[in-house]
Amino acid sequence: MNIWKISIQNLKSKPLYTFLSILILSLSIMLLLSVQQLKISFKNQIDSNLGKIDLVIGAKGSPLQLILASVLHLDNPTGNISYHEAEKISKSSFVKLAVPISYGDNYEKYRIIGTTKEYLSIYNAELQNGDVIKKPMEVILGNTVAKQLNFKIGDTFLSSHGLKENDIDLHADKLTVVGILKPTKKVIDRLIITNLESIWNVHKHEDEIDEDNEIHTEHHPQKTHDLNREITSLLISFKSPRALLTFPRKINKETNMQAALPKYELHKLYEYTNIGFQTISWIAYLILLISGMIIFISLYKMVKERAFDLALLRTYGASNLQLIKMVIYEGITIVFFAFIIGFIFVKTALYFIFKIVKNYYHHNILQELSFNEVLQTGGLVLIMMFLSISLATYPIIKMNISTILSNEK
Amino acid sequence: MLQTDNLTFRYKKEGQIFKFPNIALDENENLLILGKSGIGKTTFLHLLAGLLSPTDGKVVIDDVSINLLFQSKLDTFRGQKIGLVFQKNYAVKSLSVLENLYARLFFSKKTIDNDEIDKLLEQLGIKDSKNSKIHELSEGQLQRLGIALSVIHKPKIILADEPTSSLDDENCKVVIELLKNQAERTHANLIVITHDQRIKTFFQNSITL
Repeated sequence: MNIWKISIQNLKSKPLYTFLSILILSLSIMLLLSVQQLKISFKNQIDSNLGKIDLVIGAKGSPLQLILASVLHLDNPTGNISYHEAEKISKSSFVKLAVPISYGDNYEKYRIIGTTKEYLSIYNAELQNGDVIKKPMEVILGNTVAKQLNFKIGDTFLSSHGLKENDIDLHADKLTVVGILKPTKKVIDRLIITNLESIWNVHKHEDEIDEDNEIHTEHHPQKTHDLNREITSLLISFKSPRALLTFPRKINKETNMQAALPKYELHKLYEYTNIGFQTISWIAYLILLISGMIIFISLYKMVKERAFDLALLRTYGASNLQLIKMVIYEGITIVFFAFIIGFIFVKTALYFIFKIVKNYYHHNILQELSFNEVLQTGGLVLIMMFLSISLATYPIIKMNISTILSNEK
Repeated sequence: MLQTDNLTFRYKKEGQIFKFPNIALDENENLLILGKSGIGKTTFLHLLAGLLSPTDGKVVIDDVSINLLFQSKLDTFRGQKIGLVFQKNYAVKSLSVLENLYARLFFSKKTIDNDEIDKLLEQLGIKDSKNSKIHELSEGQLQRLGIALSVIHKPKIILADEPTSSLDDENCKVVIELLKNQAERTHANLIVITHDQRIKTFFQNSITL
């Protein structure tokens, strides 16, 4: 027999209170850890997807939309810009790397983007197997795409027009898989990458057909066609950050295109979403406070209701300190189980949340919490519990055994 | 073994003053303390057990003046030397009969001897209930457990506060016999404080408050 055993027996003798205390505490631990994990995953997702992109140039419109479409590949693009104009910008002495991207099609909701081979270097993406794109209508698949669609090198498919999946508006040209990328945990994992010509070719035929059907005009000379070529946006990495001060202003002022700073725009986005995270955090803190109160009430009730038992133990030779230990051990047991259950809850809840997110965005953004962050939440919970337990042991210090034993009748 | 000297107690500064007669008991001597309700019987018992500190005077048990002990020392001393029996018998509700006895021995820092426990429970007729929870016991069984808990650690003094007031004549006799037997077996002084005149015949020494 020892104090631990008595504490455990005490808990067992009031299963409902014990269960409730553990449940609500584990729930608040779950909320706190989930919010933290979601927040960190979200921030990390944004940060890592920026890669080396300092500036995005695209059609005029909402800068956030441009960034969402061109960097995170979530929104629709603002419009197209002239490839010719973009090339001129690329040649500027400030620019270290300029990567054009062109949108237009999807396969099974995975976006197909036409770009140059430098696009891979933005995300440090490497080929897992296969080869680089050598000619139009060849594609490289992001790792998630390859896995989800179960595609191998040499497989072919037909893209559908637009960024939403549909069976009606299929293009006639077959795309061939020539390479598959290693997983990067970045946005490139869920993209289908091809060269600019593939996108132009697919859409040129249609333009021509449209033109033939509707206007019946003469054939465009090759030169004019080149000038008419369009891309969705241009991703730029500068040689020196100083360019950030002047370059965007120049573009916005002197051309009919807009330059958007992804870091700035995404930071703004992060600030917006942060309000939501803040709210959930406050709710989690509130639940933690309530769980602290429930544990306090449960222990305090035990101390008050069992005053006679405690007085009896004092006549057995137990000291005040031993009785306080008894209550503390009960609290510790509750907190211990709540932590374990809370942790299991978090893992399960996040598993389902990310499964849903993955189905929706075709992308896994799960980011493991660092030990420090778990420790932070743990510390907060422990301080809260320490307070509840200390308050609950107060009546023991004030206990008058003689009075309690005299009032037995 | 047990001596009191000029014991005085006052609940509050302006409260009624209780003055108690001096008692002195040798080994194996028992004492019956009779008194009407409200005369301070329980107060006297709590002073003897060190649950209350006297306003004046002292209690000496085994040559130790218990009022001079620090609180934690007094807790240990009480746990080892004194066994208390209450009018309505209680045990820790979350523990079983056996666990209560274990807890009793644990807190009085005595080693657990299962044979000894079995023997005692046998004598008290509750051996079959040793794994029962407290709420599963009948009044009579609870009374016997109360006695078991007051003697299992072989105390020097057994203090019983109105142990028979709620019992019929037959059970009253049984309980007093059990208490006397256990006190004799463990060489302890038995002090019974009661208003119950029925048990006068069982004791040679008695005082009236």
